Amino acid sequence: MISNIGIIVTWISFLNLIFLFFTKSNFQIQRLARINLFFHFILFCLLEIGLFIDDFSISYIANYSASTTPPIYKFASLWGSLDGSILLWNFVLSIYFLIYIKYFHKKEFFVDVKIFSSILAFFVGYTIFSSSPFAGCIELASIGCANSTLLPFDNLLTSEFGRGPNPLLQNHPLMAIHPPILYAGYIGLVMPFVISTSHLIMKETNNDWIKMAEKATFFPWIFLTAGISLGAAWSYEVLGWGGYWAWDPVENVSFIPWLLATAFLHSAKTQIRESTLINWNYSLSCLMFLSTIFGTFITRSGVLISVHAFSNGNIGTYLLIGLSAFTGLYLIVGARNIEYFSSAKKLSNWFGRSGFFIANNIILFSATIVVFVGTVYPIFYETLYDRQLTIGRSFYDTLVGPLLLILLLLIVFSEKLPNKNLNFAEWVKTNQIEINISLVISIAISLYYEANYEFIFTIFASIVLVIILSKNLISYFRKGRISGSYWAGQIAHIGIGIFAIGLILNVTQSYSKEIIATPGSTIEFSGNNYIINQPYQESKEEKDVINLPISKSNKVKNASLNIFKNSSQQAISSPAIFRNIESDTYITIKVIDDEYFKLIIRKNYGIFIIWLGLALTIFSIYPRIKNE
Amino acid sequence: MNKVLTFTLLILLLAIPLINEDRDSRYENWSKNILCPVCQGENISDSPSEYAEDMRMILREQIDSGLSDEEIYNYWVVRYGERIITNPQRTNIEMIILPILLISLFILAFIRSTKNE
Repeated sequence: MISNIGIIVTWISFLNLIFLFFTKSNFQIQRLARINLFFHFILFCLLEIGLFIDDFSISYIANYSASTTPPIYKFASLWGSLDGSILLWNFVLSIYFLIYIKYFHKKEFFVDVKIFSSILAFFVGYTIFSSSPFAGCIELASIGCANSTLLPFDNLLTSEFGRGPNPLLQNHPLMAIHPPILYAGYIGLVMPFVISTSHLIMKETNNDWIKMAEKATFFPWIFLTAGISLGAAWSYEVLGWGGYWAWDPVENVSFIPWLLATAFLHSAKTQIRESTLINWNYSLSCLMFLSTIFGTFITRSGVLISVHAFSNGNIGTYLLIGLSAFTGLYLIVGARNIEYFSSAKKLSNWFGRSGFFIANNIILFSATIVVFVGTVYPIFYETLYDRQLTIGRSFYDTLVGPLLLILLLLIVFSEKLPNKNLNFAEWVKTNQIEINISLVISIAISLYYEANYEFIFTIFASIVLVIILSKNLISYFRKGRISGSYWAGQIAHIGIGIFAIGLILNVTQSYSKEIIATPGSTIEFSGNNYIINQPYQESKEEKDVINLPISKSNKVKNASLNIFKNSSQQAISSPAIFRNIESDTYITIKVIDDEYFKLIIRKNYGIFIIWLGLALTIFSIYPRIKNE
Repeated sequence: MNKVLTFTLLILLLAIPLINEDRDSRYENWSKNILCPVCQGENISDSPSEYAEDMRMILREQIDSGLSDEEIYNYWVVRYGERIITNPQRTNIEMIILPILLISLFILAFIRSTKNE
């Protein structure tokens, strides 16, 4: 029943988009965009209803949910695998479409609506022609469904149990938050793409489009930052991976749009101010969007192996066609505006305000190149030599590390950038006290920890940055004048500075060890005593949990092992974390037996500081909202 | 006066890493770049697992008995395949050259298009 309705509503929404494409009335556009959102809301609700009433005649539900799945994970199962996540994608895209029509659509344009509705139709088309979360089951597997149909009104088979979501995805409520937020970031980047291409097609060559595109990038950028941060927090705090960032392909392809969007937010300002860099801005505004599609393509088509591989599907070819079409549009529109691009003003001073913004762009784009090469190189290597390759942390550390360090040093000057070239001696004079204080603090910190050059440079740059920028921020904050994009930038920069302090502590100081313990024993680790108590088992409908209470003075935390029923996947080990500002003691269970346990105990430095920095960066939305 | 103070402090800061002994010995370098095959994307230096411990012991012996980098590389790659080495850029130098070349081309093109003639 739900399967049939879902497939039919998908078709109707597709037809609606075709109407939208050809509409030549702004009144109709408004109405059809609302109707479109309504359809996608219905589709979203339909699949949710199917998940909650355990409609196992729908292949997706039979394969990625189970009757024993707790409600919150049933809810989140909608985006637990590829086909369902496309439904969320389309729903969010439809919301953005309405936002676009309301805030960015120009009454005399129709081409922007054509581009936007084509993009929407492209993704809705995937659920019609390739693979739909509403597809009914026509062949049962031992558990779940083996084969499904995209046509309505077939004789559907209902499996008795569902297979249930991947254990990794039903271990923590963050599953209900991290993917939608990340999507809100990715998908929002459609807006700058549509804005810049449509304006250039219409030859609207004033700076209107760049102002709009900048605004349309900032808010998705916040979501992207929040989404990536939540993913990091999830893998660290819940999944017991011990780390928050592994340079895994899926992480990399979320980092690429972030780097490009960050670059664009800066270079757009340069164009707004001085009418420079027009071709560059046009490219960035499109590449942000194209890189999200590209990222989805290489990580969801199975060409790459990743720890996030739980949602692979046959989306590869389909995405490749879309990617080529959108890239084609970008190139053709670009080629037809060469004249406009060459009207851009040349840069006058390389060591003034614009120079700094350009240096930012060069560095961020260079980092993008490195991450891109590191992500796709293994594919080429395997194709050429038929051997697999692992690109580890050291590749990125060697190449991205120095770039980001230079960027950090440049941010120090961002408090007050000169219009003419920077006079360094004068700058030092003005900030003498702050520089000296930072040097003293850096020396103290570097003596306390094991410092190498990477450490002292990063610590000094971050501390001087945080001190100078915070002093400025606090003095204005008292006067209550914190609004607009300058202050958004300042807050984000302080956040990045704090983040960098945590990051360098984390990568240079952390260590770990494996220990064997028995119930009731006390272990000593980095000067503290931890008592390992008697483990106990909890049985829930969907999983068994073995909890191991660990106490330090009067605090008790559980390390646990989650064993999911109906799943061949390995158990998930959730950590017990004892945190202070400086470091975490992070304990995970590796093996648990009646008589003894094998535990991994890690000293992870700087985690709290990292989360604090990221939270502050996300908070940079506040002055912009206040302004608008 | 202030300038002298800043300068002295800076020199002090720069001298600190020199008093710490060089932590990245040959052994550290290798252990940080051999993947632990039974762990989730960890190298044997970071991985606390027993399997990694055994691998570290073998590596320690190899370093102590003075095996060349070539020999150590071959030992691990023959047993576990190329995937075991996480710094393939050491043997596949094009991996470093390629991004640097692309970055240089990009910077050249970028500067050319924005510079005053």
